[in-house]
Amino acid sequence: MDNLSELLHGFSIAVTVPHLVLMAVGVLLGILVGVLPGLGAPNGVSLLLPLTFGMQPVSAIILLSSMYWGALFGGSVTSILFNIPGEPSSVATTFDGYPMARDGRPTTALATAFGSAAFGALVGVILITFLASWVAQVALAFGPPEYFAVYFLAFASFVGMGGAAPIKTVVALAIGFAIAAIGIDTVSGSVRLTMGIDELVKGVNFVVAVMGLFGIGELLVAVEEEFHARAVSSRIDWAEVFRAVVRLPRHGVALLRSAAIGCWMGITPGGPTAASFMSYGIARRFSRRGRYFGTGEVEGIISPETADHAAGTSALLPMLSLGIPGSATAAVMMGGLMIWGLNPGPMLFVDQKDFVWGLIASMYVGNIVAVALVLLTVPVFAALMRIPFVVIAPLIVIICVVGAYSVSNSYLDVVMMLGFGIVGYLFKKLFYPLAPLVLAIVIGDKAEDAFRQSMLMSKGSLGIFFANKLVTCLVIAGIALLLLPLVLQLARPFRKSTSPTAEAPAQEKVII
Amino acid sequence: MISRRALELATAILTGGFGVAVVVQSLDNGIGWSSEGVESGTFPFLTGIIIIAGSLYNLARGIVPAGTLANVPIAITSIELRRLAGLFLPAAIFVAVIPLLGMYVASAVYIFAVLAVPEHQSVLRSAATAAATALALYVVFERMFQVSLPHGALAAALGF
Repeated sequence: MDNLSELLHGFSIAVTVPHLVLMAVGVLLGILVGVLPGLGAPNGVSLLLPLTFGMQPVSAIILLSSMYWGALFGGSVTSILFNIPGEPSSVATTFDGYPMARDGRPTTALATAFGSAAFGALVGVILITFLASWVAQVALAFGPPEYFAVYFLAFASFVGMGGAAPIKTVVALAIGFAIAAIGIDTVSGSVRLTMGIDELVKGVNFVVAVMGLFGIGELLVAVEEEFHARAVSSRIDWAEVFRAVVRLPRHGVALLRSAAIGCWMGITPGGPTAASFMSYGIARRFSRRGRYFGTGEVEGIISPETADHAAGTSALLPMLSLGIPGSATAAVMMGGLMIWGLNPGPMLFVDQKDFVWGLIASMYVGNIVAVALVLLTVPVFAALMRIPFVVIAPLIVIICVVGAYSVSNSYLDVVMMLGFGIVGYLFKKLFYPLAPLVLAIVIGDKAEDAFRQSMLMSKGSLGIFFANKLVTCLVIAGIALLLLPLVLQLARPFRKSTSPTAEAPAQEKVII
Repeated sequence: MISRRALELATAILTGGFGVAVVVQSLDNGIGWSSEGVESGTFPFLTGIIIIAGSLYNLARGIVPAGTLANVPIAITSIELRRLAGLFLPAAIFVAVIPLLGMYVASAVYIFAVLAVPEHQSVLRSAATAAATALALYVVFERMFQVSLPHGALAAALGF
């Protein structure tokens, strides 16, 4: 019950006029970046980051998280109306959303998507409400070895469950770690990995990497596949919205299953994109109407949307309570937390109650605001999509350039951002996962510090990672996850006779 | 036309090269154990080794394509390559001239060039879009958020 009274206190912070305005602004900006191909939630949030430095942390996080919700919704709008996913995580929504809209039921498709998305987000927030302080309590018993073990577990789960080729994930992670190490070493004060460029002493800011990897990289991928913005009608029929939402409970099983998949993928850092694909795949296999999937099935929209939003929301739980972000956007937000002078992790729940519960309460309200705003603004943003890509693309380039420059007024950052753009394009093209790369850049330093502090405690013995039950379990779970792909590969020859092996190319699509 | 294999190999060499640079650099910081604990080069050294090992594996996988790779032999067709260059080269030139022209002039010229030269839009509309972009940048950053974007050598020479 403790949590509930804290939550009520949180509502008293979140439901004030300035914060409601911030939510609306955040959601609208979020829908905008969600609708524009080439700009996504990670970019949008990092672009807004410098503008939040003067704000109260709780106001800042409400703005950024609302933007995240907006971006998740905005991505679905373009998926359904234009068959162009505005966000990687809404790719799976195009499979059934666009056919349904094309068949003359765009309102039904949109309302079903938003309704199930809101349900997914709600389940995610409820999960956070009830688990947050419990996780934080457990985490209070953590010392450096336990922290390192948790980071290790997080990175291992990317390798074991991320869905990308395991070795490519490992390479992406390690590159992220190396980039995080550039600059002044926080423990010894010595300068590392500057490659002879003096300006690199300040390190590589993750915002610069995100602008390049997700902004320029995504733009390059988008320009390659020529755009056909062939829109279906974007008029909203309000009676049909109501009917579609009322019909949702009939698909209760699909809703609950997708929400569970989403929450699981959000907490273990699988991320919203993998969650939506996984949920769609499972729904197609288990639904009675599975063979009609791809022609505009209601459950084909419900499943990816619910999982997408459940994952997006619950990704904030490990970020707040452990300091481990569950998605790329959560990683960017965590970077913001550190800039505002807050230290993500269990102590946040003790020292910054207003912040944590204000945020959690704002997630309930923010999602309602997001559903309302996205329905109201569908025609406006649909019109935006009719601006030709050749006009939007250079504007996005300029936004990324200015965004990278304004991080620390450095021209070198702009050049590096372009470089990251090429890397992002190559990685996307070849199915290297980008989320672990960003995650490692953001928390690489913390993981390294935890490792070195543990080594100091144990005078250089790795035995400290097996010193007590908690840390041993975490390390063993991490090692098990690392070895999982290997085990699956070894087991494959035995399974081959029973299951068809047509999954590999399908799986490659999942990692975007 | 670029094959999937060539792209895989190039990327593996790129990541491997970065790994080698990391390893070489981290040796300067010292690796292993000293009186102050783990030396600062150790962690980067290990990540560098992992990058190299992983890149070698990816390189080997690229040379001997598995079943899934064989399905998509062509990664980038020549038409796609032209589109990529059409987006990236102007952007790179734009970034290159920022120190000279400054952010405002450079972005206006950039927008005008990519819209008017391939005749996506009329000269007049391109000019209007370009001017509006530069003006919006100026109002939002210089005025509203007090962030000074680079004015460039040209502006300095003209005495701004």
